[in-house]
Amino acid sequence: MSWLVWRQYRAQGAIALALLAGFGAVLIVTGAQMASQWHSGLASCAASGTCAKLAQTLSLGSPLGRDFVLLSNLVPALLGFLWGAPLVAGEVEAGTRAYAWTQGISRTRWLLVKAGWLLLAAAAWGGAVTALTTWWYGPRNALYASAFQPNTFDTQGIVTVGYSVFALALGVAAGALTRRTLPAIAITIGGFIGMRLLISEVVRQHYLTAVTAFYNPLQAFAPPGPAWTLQQGVMDKYGQVFTGGNGPEVNGVPFSALPANCQKFIMIDPGTMTKTSLHAAVTCMQASGFRGFVTYQPASRWWAFQGIETGIFLALAAALIAAALVVVRRRDA
Amino acid sequence: MTYLTWRQHRQQALVALALLAAFAVLMLITGLQAAAQWHAALAGCSAARACGSLRDIFLGSHAVGFLVVLTLIVPALLGMLLGAPLVAHELETRTTQFAWTQGATRARWLAVRVGWLLLGTAAFAGAVSALVTWWSGPANAQQASGFNPGRFDIMGIAPVGYTVFAVALGITAGTVIRRVVPAIGITVACFIAVRAAVFIGLRQHYQAAVTHVYGLTQSFAPPGAAWQLAAGVVAPGGGRLSVSDGPAIAVNVSSVTVPASCRGLEDAATLSCMQAAGFRQFITYQPAGRYWAFQAIEAGIFVALAAALIAVAFVVLRRRDA
Repeated sequence: MSWLVWRQYRAQGAIALALLAGFGAVLIVTGAQMASQWHSGLASCAASGTCAKLAQTLSLGSPLGRDFVLLSNLVPALLGFLWGAPLVAGEVEAGTRAYAWTQGISRTRWLLVKAGWLLLAAAAWGGAVTALTTWWYGPRNALYASAFQPNTFDTQGIVTVGYSVFALALGVAAGALTRRTLPAIAITIGGFIGMRLLISEVVRQHYLTAVTAFYNPLQAFAPPGPAWTLQQGVMDKYGQVFTGGNGPEVNGVPFSALPANCQKFIMIDPGTMTKTSLHAAVTCMQASGFRGFVTYQPASRWWAFQGIETGIFLALAAALIAAALVVVRRRDA
Repeated sequence: MTYLTWRQHRQQALVALALLAAFAVLMLITGLQAAAQWHAALAGCSAARACGSLRDIFLGSHAVGFLVVLTLIVPALLGMLLGAPLVAHELETRTTQFAWTQGATRARWLAVRVGWLLLGTAAFAGAVSALVTWWSGPANAQQASGFNPGRFDIMGIAPVGYTVFAVALGITAGTVIRRVVPAIGITVACFIAVRAAVFIGLRQHYQAAVTHVYGLTQSFAPPGAAWQLAAGVVAPGGGRLSVSDGPAIAVNVSSVTVPASCRGLEDAATLSCMQAAGFRQFITYQPAGRYWAFQAIEAGIFVALAAALIAVAFVVLRRRDA
């Protein structure tokens, strides 16, 4: 069986390796450029004592490398619909399954060996891609402290392995269920995008209970390191939250929501509000119980989140493979 | 032939229509919300004379905004799922042998199917783009970003050009390779490669860009939704000052290395020292007024590529043995 799988997939394996080599070449060249840019920037800012504003003055990396890293989001989906979806459906459509299943091998073994090798290949491929992008991100993570942000979190670490295995399993299950390649491909793409969006937009922020820190609204505050800020704003003494974005405001609090004794500092024309009057208004707000707050996931949880996210997608993949097995075993040939 | 094409594709057409309807409902609801939010904020800020801070207001929701960005892949999906199988699937299942012995020539068989498919997918992409364009109205007005890469690509008529190209690419790949799954792979890869090549190599050169040179202590922004291509500081000799390989200073739109003669001063003094030494800022951009010309050129390029691909498909299909 393993020999058969190798014979069926060696062309695709060779193409995949060639593509990986091309991807690696672009990332290594742009990554090395970025690393040298980062080191010379560090050296010169240390010499002139301006390292505190390095993130504002140094613009790291070329658009080409960034586009390739963004494109690596597609890799799991490609594996899922080009390898996974035709795995069962292609053989059903071509009728070759009728031959394969009469050669003394059980359907279970046939599916498990085929899917097993491809899942392994997908994991290896996703791992190679993510190893490259994780290395590439090094200087950017150090400079911008953005490794926990949506999108950058998704293209480094170990999550890409989980996404790849999930996408492949989704393709296999969709192909086993529909028994036609094209609908299986469409289901794989839709299902993969939908599940990724659901997890990253809705579920991820709840893996561990977020931390909320309160601070004096007169001072700026940012969580240490590459934390993931979920919400930041001002809270009044009754716990009502203001995050800005509703017209004229002081630190995100609309003028109308300020206590009357604080409004007097800013009832002058807001267009001419000065630093002094703003400071007076914020001091008054602080005295009436307004506090700055920030809700975030601390930087130290990064690997825990990577592990949880990967685990979720691996568990989904296991469930999908189990479903494919049930369908293939129960159905009439 | 037309009736046959409809019978073969009516299921896909129904699925596409259902998806479009769902997308339209989502766009209408969230678009009306964003427009109301925008008008309320405009009224509020003009009453308080504080419209300068309007840029910081966040319109709409993250998830829906992400979905709108995702419409970037609609052309590729149509090319993969509808274009690639059009010929290749019939070759794989040998139904061509039946179709080509029924009195319609191969050329007619291909022409009718290709024509209807291109028309249908172009209409679909046009509808998606129209919804996205309308939905983005407040954000375009607020951010003046309609010309920026990524936004330009999902609005106006450019997506229709991309779609016609992607579908033609799928049809031709399927005709040449005669197998569906490899044709899908080729369609994805070539579509991404051509889109990237046109964007990186060509788009900024459709018309000669405008460069504005101004003093280091002044600020300047191109009016309206212009597309900024480059910005920086020029030395007195005309060379561009590099971006930070030494002590750097932030100027209006970028940051540059401070020349040796002006180092060790306060930020403001550094700038006036450099200004006196003859350094100037520049910004290179495509003016907002060229937006529709660029849309038309971009769409035209992709439609022309599609026409060439379809011609190749005809030649290959007519020459080849059944």
